[in-house]
Amino acid sequence: MSSSSKRRDETPNEAEGCHRGPAVARRDFVKSGIAALASLAVGETIRLTPGEASERAPARQADARVPHDYAKASQVPSVCLNCSTVCGIVGYVIDDRVVKLAGNPLDPNNGRTICAKGQAGVCINDYPERLLYPLARVGRRGEGLWKRIAWDEAYAQLAERINKCLAEGTPEQVAMHYGRSRISDVIERFMNAIGSPVILNHRALCSLNKRAANYASIGDADWETVDAERTKYLLNFGSNFYEAHQGHIHFLKRVIRGRFDNGAKLVTFDVRLSNTAGRSDEWFAPFPGTEGAIALAMARVMMTAGEFDRDFVSRWVNVSVEELKRFLEPYSPEWAEARSGVPARDIDRVALEFARCRPACAAFTNRGSHAHYNGFNNDRAVVLLNALAGSIGQPGGYCYGPGARIDPAEFPPPEPAPPKPARRTDLEDPPEYPLANLWQKMKVGELAYDFIQRRRALVQVYLTYTLGSPTTWPEGRSLTVAVLRDERLIPFHACSDIVYSETAHYADLILPDAAYLERWGLDTRNSYEFRPYVALRQPMTAPPGECVSFADVLIELGRRLGPETARYFAFGNHADYVRHQCKKIPAGDCANGFEYMQRHGVWSDPTRPVSRSEFARELTVAELQGARTDEATGVIYQQAADGAERSMGIWIDGAPRRGFRTPSRKFEVVSSTVIEQAANAGLEDDGWPRYTPIPAHEDLPPDRLILTTFKWNVHTQARTAPQKYLSEIVHDNPLWINSETARRLGLRSGDLVEVTTYRPKGNTYRATGEKLGSERIRVFVTEGIHPRVAAVSNSLGQRFGGRAAIAHRGPSAEGPAFDERILSDDPDLAQMLWWDAEEGGSGAGYNLNGIMPIQPAPLTGMQCWFDTVCSLRKA
Amino acid sequence: MPHEPRYAMAVDLERCTGCHACSVACKAENEVPLGHFRTKVYYYDEGKYPQVRRWFLPTLCMQCADAPCLKACPTDSIARGDDGIVRINVQTCNGNGRCEEACPYGAIYVDPLRHVADKCDFCSHRLPLGMAPACVETCPSEALVFGDANDPESRVSRFHARYDAELEVLKPDSQADPQVRYRGLKRELEGKLPQGRNHDPRSYEIDSWATLQSEFKSGREENRE
Repeated sequence: MSSSSKRRDETPNEAEGCHRGPAVARRDFVKSGIAALASLAVGETIRLTPGEASERAPARQADARVPHDYAKASQVPSVCLNCSTVCGIVGYVIDDRVVKLAGNPLDPNNGRTICAKGQAGVCINDYPERLLYPLARVGRRGEGLWKRIAWDEAYAQLAERINKCLAEGTPEQVAMHYGRSRISDVIERFMNAIGSPVILNHRALCSLNKRAANYASIGDADWETVDAERTKYLLNFGSNFYEAHQGHIHFLKRVIRGRFDNGAKLVTFDVRLSNTAGRSDEWFAPFPGTEGAIALAMARVMMTAGEFDRDFVSRWVNVSVEELKRFLEPYSPEWAEARSGVPARDIDRVALEFARCRPACAAFTNRGSHAHYNGFNNDRAVVLLNALAGSIGQPGGYCYGPGARIDPAEFPPPEPAPPKPARRTDLEDPPEYPLANLWQKMKVGELAYDFIQRRRALVQVYLTYTLGSPTTWPEGRSLTVAVLRDERLIPFHACSDIVYSETAHYADLILPDAAYLERWGLDTRNSYEFRPYVALRQPMTAPPGECVSFADVLIELGRRLGPETARYFAFGNHADYVRHQCKKIPAGDCANGFEYMQRHGVWSDPTRPVSRSEFARELTVAELQGARTDEATGVIYQQAADGAERSMGIWIDGAPRRGFRTPSRKFEVVSSTVIEQAANAGLEDDGWPRYTPIPAHEDLPPDRLILTTFKWNVHTQARTAPQKYLSEIVHDNPLWINSETARRLGLRSGDLVEVTTYRPKGNTYRATGEKLGSERIRVFVTEGIHPRVAAVSNSLGQRFGGRAAIAHRGPSAEGPAFDERILSDDPDLAQMLWWDAEEGGSGAGYNLNGIMPIQPAPLTGMQCWFDTVCSLRKA
Repeated sequence: MPHEPRYAMAVDLERCTGCHACSVACKAENEVPLGHFRTKVYYYDEGKYPQVRRWFLPTLCMQCADAPCLKACPTDSIARGDDGIVRINVQTCNGNGRCEEACPYGAIYVDPLRHVADKCDFCSHRLPLGMAPACVETCPSEALVFGDANDPESRVSRFHARYDAELEVLKPDSQADPQVRYRGLKRELEGKLPQGRNHDPRSYEIDSWATLQSEFKSGREENRE
């Protein structure tokens, strides 16, 4: 291996963001580094730039290790947030320190088990590089010069900026942007209180097409809940649930039981050999974005062979068997092979194997199939296989339903609650993407910075929370950072974070947040035991320094803005808010529902029936009060509280039933919603889940590859890189290429390449096909990837977030301070961090998002992460 | 009268998902320094595209019945208890490292900050409280099977009974009589285990996934060549 290959290639295009340049010349009056910040008084100034060496208290002395004395530990149940699966956990707390985490045995989904990320949560609590005080920007934005301020001043700054918008009658110029907050109810309450609709999230970067497909087909926009423990056949289109997925180990542990205790077969389609693909009974690598072609061909095979559930299709599908056959006629296995590269005989065989296990079989998806230009229909085609198999809602089948969210009716927030704002802007509701906001607020987050830059919506105050957009957004270190640092486009940016992140670096005000082990919230996920439950996130220890959870910041700020908003926040703090939400929970062995949750962490109503779906349930007389039936369709309508008439059931087999929550109350192969919304957006769509090729992939020159991204089992976007036990396992992310590709380009593992990306084509953002940008990256040559695909992981290539994240061994170089509990440095980070490139390690990896084009899919706005056309050249 | 326990571990590799929960739980539980390991998960990619398969191997101390570390220790600081667990006495250990050199499984390290040897002891501090070892408790796929081998109803006894003929040990010719038993072992992965020193932190770097090497040079060493 050549010397240049192992060494980190410094990226020259980021002036202040290099891994560790020479120490910045300090001005005398400016303090610098962690040791200084420990003594930083209110009003004093400090420079915080990545790469600046500083002194701090010496590392802890290496005393003999004393094993945790669990007899002395208090056990605090709570909820993990190191990924979005939100497992119930128990923290063992000794001397005000969380020494260990475990799964909460009462959690119906994960029980005692948690994953590597969950176990690594202990790294956050006493992380020596936590933000501890509010900081106000002193120099230019992005310069890294900060002044410690008191919370009173932080609130005053926020209130002045927000009140200016309110006084000018432009509340919508206050924009909130967050990632996985799990406090969206409080965030929405705050935004409603000030009258701004501009709440931006990350769904379009995550699950939008999947949810849209489920919504169009079955009227439920959440993730399906496959009954994997009882299944016989799992047909997986692009989910890497062995490593990630929403409901990660909830699903995984049941798949393992299904496979090895119940004899289920697992077949995976993925362009890359993920752990899921590598351990499936069969792995097929289709050409990217052809999953829908394969699924339609499988549907055709099932119907041609008569291996489908004719009863279900006749009763519950909104087209006839004959119409369906006609629609599927062009989609032969040979046709699908020509597009996907997956052999027709395998498509045929797998389809029949799947069908013959019906109804204990399930076909499901994730980003591998849906993060494409055609991903919405890809996923609809996969969901259709479950309808043909009659597996929807069946034991061992494709289930959906209970308990995916906190129902305000069951867990009421304090009154009065502010009304939803009437106004809208293009920022949170882009009219080009009518399916984005139809049922849940999905937004089209990847367009936010472009819209701000083009002033399609004006922003005066930008509030960010759990948001790593410089590294996790497409065109991250390019467009995103350019907009974040432009004070004319974003005059004021306040960021709440637990470490000095790349987002915080471009803020004007930093609000030190409480980590997830230090704050409150009610949480839930879809239950794999098919009975809804709710779990309590509660502090295991007090947050260090002056950290305040963002929910409490918003509540306090709401009170300080003025009497109009204050009245919605008179209930107290976030703990009081959550206590109120728990008031209907039975007290059980405790004084009240809140105390029950504090003691046990999880509550589920044992009298509620197990429910794998709701469509076949008969409606009660009470439910049918005031309803009318449309004689032609059998659809039952009822007047809602707002006066509008909505469908609420359907007559099937002589009984009034719940049906699917689609307009027809049936499983919709042809989606009336799609027809209607496409027409509204000026698009033509006949509503069938047709396969459409990805425009940029048509007539692809032979030297072009498709660049795809992926997650590791030990990382979650930008948030886990600071956790030493996770970054020790994965810190480097070379570009995966197939050995055949490597041979053609004369590349070996470790060689540097220049990867050049191109903009998309078709009906999407900046669809020019032109070159977007280039980056240099080391390659990893493997057999585990499609020859026309290159893959790079997300989560790495961090330039901020502390030594574990940036792969720097030595005294702390960044991160604002510690309090008495975080008194000394961590010897692991100071002395043992072995992957530092300066010390012979492989370094902190790469972040290519700067050259990943923004490409929202038509109709939905889902970011087409896996469509990017690229070329490689030996560097 | 309750019998004396004899603790045993088995690993069902068919179920293992390579998730690293065991090794991170171990680090958190035992505050194992970066770059050193009581337990580690190895990966191996086998085959040519498109016929490729990924194999995992979680490793830990094998609690050998004829433990080479024990025999190599010049200060008599290592003992095998009647409960089947090989333990290091940190009061008498002087960090000389002979045990690490003697171990065929890479399971022992000398803590560079505390200057004592350390290795898996099935989380002995948890067992009296009825808590399973941290790795076992957290394993999402129920691949790690632990319990009292003297109790026929324990999980590990039932696993042994059910799969007895399929169970194998790592490096059976090590003459150490290793006690941790594996089901579904991909024998080639033994090649990844270091001999005479603790697991190399670089042996999980992605470039090594398709190799069976156990020796790694740092980037700095390579640069000198």
